[in-house]
Amino acid sequence: MRDYLQKYGAGYVFLTPWAIGFLGLALGPILASLYLSFTQYDIINAPEWVGLENYEYMFSFDTRFYKSLQVTFAFVFLSVPAKLIFALGVAMVLDKGIRAIGIYRALFYLPSILGGSIAVAILWRQLFNQDGVVNAALGLFGIEGPYWLSDPRYSLYTLVVLAVWQFGSPMLIFLAGLRAIPQDLYEAAEIDAASKPRQFFAITLPLLAPVIFFNLVLQMIEAFKTFTGAFVISGGTGAPLDSLLFFTVYLYNEAFSFFRMGYASALAWVLLIIIAIFTAIAFYSSRYWVHYENERG
Amino acid sequence: MTQFNRRRFLKTAAMTAGAGVAASSFSLPTFAQDARIRHFWWGNPDRDERTFAVIDIFNSKHPNIFVEGETLGFSDYFTRLTTQIAGGNMADVIQQGYGVLFEYVDRGAVVPLDEWVGNTIDLSKMDQSALDAGTVNGQLYALSIGANSHMAMYNTRLYEEAGFRPGEDFDPYGWTYEDVARIGAAVTDATGTFGTDDNTADYQNFSDFVVQKGGKLYNDDGSYGPTQEIVEEYWETWKMIRDAGATPPGPESAGQVGAEVSQWGIVTGRTATTYAWSNQLVGAQNLMQDTLGAAMFPNTPAMVPGSYIQPSQFICLTRDSANPEAATTYMNAFVNDLDMTKVLGLERGIPSNSEVREALRPTLEGAAATSVEFFDTIQDKVAVLPPPFPTGANEVEQTFERMAVAVLLDQGSISDVARDFLRQAEAILARA
Repeated sequence: MRDYLQKYGAGYVFLTPWAIGFLGLALGPILASLYLSFTQYDIINAPEWVGLENYEYMFSFDTRFYKSLQVTFAFVFLSVPAKLIFALGVAMVLDKGIRAIGIYRALFYLPSILGGSIAVAILWRQLFNQDGVVNAALGLFGIEGPYWLSDPRYSLYTLVVLAVWQFGSPMLIFLAGLRAIPQDLYEAAEIDAASKPRQFFAITLPLLAPVIFFNLVLQMIEAFKTFTGAFVISGGTGAPLDSLLFFTVYLYNEAFSFFRMGYASALAWVLLIIIAIFTAIAFYSSRYWVHYENERG
Repeated sequence: MTQFNRRRFLKTAAMTAGAGVAASSFSLPTFAQDARIRHFWWGNPDRDERTFAVIDIFNSKHPNIFVEGETLGFSDYFTRLTTQIAGGNMADVIQQGYGVLFEYVDRGAVVPLDEWVGNTIDLSKMDQSALDAGTVNGQLYALSIGANSHMAMYNTRLYEEAGFRPGEDFDPYGWTYEDVARIGAAVTDATGTFGTDDNTADYQNFSDFVVQKGGKLYNDDGSYGPTQEIVEEYWETWKMIRDAGATPPGPESAGQVGAEVSQWGIVTGRTATTYAWSNQLVGAQNLMQDTLGAAMFPNTPAMVPGSYIQPSQFICLTRDSANPEAATTYMNAFVNDLDMTKVLGLERGIPSNSEVREALRPTLEGAAATSVEFFDTIQDKVAVLPPPFPTGANEVEQTFERMAVAVLLDQGSISDVARDFLRQAEAILARA
């Protein structure tokens, strides 16, 4: 025990602020929502135990539940790869040792701080409006832009672009990862006359794999939980035609528009389980493509 | 690279990020208040200004009570209210509408006022119809702060430019959907501004149409009234108006569903006619240069009345009020105090207190005078007020708005969408 504390004690001390927050603020609501997911609860009257009824309804009858899954999966599979590729691209450019790089880093990181905010979601609405900046710009080239936000064929893409725009945090992590790749590997490759793409695929990508994996997991979880932008841009309802009915927006509507807290809690747990499954898949698959420097094999 | 070698760190990060989603409905306790009263309403810039001014008047007259105002736009109001119900921290006094009042009474969020009547609340000058509308199961739950009806508002300058003068070229109190199409198309041609909003996704117009066709929105047993034929005919009617070139393109109208007053096409200059509640005339006019005219919602040639006059906005006392005596004192002043009601004017609708109406009459001008004239004229052209709608009515309305967008975007045939909507409406009512 003493050995263990000596070895890991400091770690636990550093963990305390998070642990206090988690145990004191998050754990209670999480357990309460698990209980509520087996009840019918309209906020005003006491919760009424209904067993698995919420889950049965969800999987057997609820077409909007399936629609919201479809929207959310489409968003995750489009936005996460696009954002990671874009972030890596920018990181590689910044890694070239540009002057005043600190300023660029700060500038590129800025959208990540602002991106989740209501203000940016409203700005996005303005940009993609029928008479917004985007269509005005397209108009300069004689293209008549579509109704980005009220046409269900395009609305999701505006949110994918919004997500990609918030590339700052994975970009910074990629940048740190790129900096840690020993330069002599590239020098050796140059001497062997390996082309730049070859260097990228043979050196950069494999050595960056742990960082890519880290970013992938975090961004995927973030994407599953996307709410603010979809909520604001769809006017809170997932409109048009449920094309922005993200899982979280649907959950919010069930809870706060239609007073079905029990059902909404059940939805929250399904989302938690979905995220857990996808995270597990990512971890499992990482055995085959992520190799750590200090590992054998 | 060392920090990325720690798989445990990754797992923890992944778990916490995921766990956040499970923490849904949670709440803070209420704090006791001493004669500190919160009043929460849905508003617009004009209403908010008037209401805050009224609160100042009340506070200066009642030094032992301190009222604070809170306001939001309509689309966010009920969401905030629900979170506050969950948190047990609703304002003492809240605004309610006729359509949803029953749900909040049913759920116990608002409490009866009967014990305060004759004590802090004076009802001697209130219209009986207003009291009836605020009474549920024999108990008074709500004080009417304005009667309302459906009103079509048109831009008089654009109508005149296209050659339409009310009373001469069209009858604002008896126009048909064909008139709307004809006039709308002419306005579009003459002015470049679309003649009318597209009401395909407007549930208020739809509810009028149902009654105009001799139907009911809700049957006596609480089931949904409109038939497949009526829903189809409603959407076909607006398709006819849209195809006549009177409205903006479908996708643009789809983006306007649920828009706040400041975003209305008539306010931003995109359209020349909009359809709303009569009390919103004052608020919309305040955001515009051109003068607005008032008309009834269009009808079929048979002219069966479809709109009704309803005491539409109420103030209610909530379950969470720690000081109902002070709260009801404020509510009483809000409907009876002549200094306060003078500032409120007609912005929330026609006052239900006869003394207040008489005091206001000589002071009215502009949009307020137009509203009163409109109200006087429609008295014998309206339908009988139906009983409050059942729980779930609000969700049915939102479902209509959501699904009507498919019609606006030409996705799916009108009969398919109508069938789908009616099926969902039944499911919602069965589940509620």
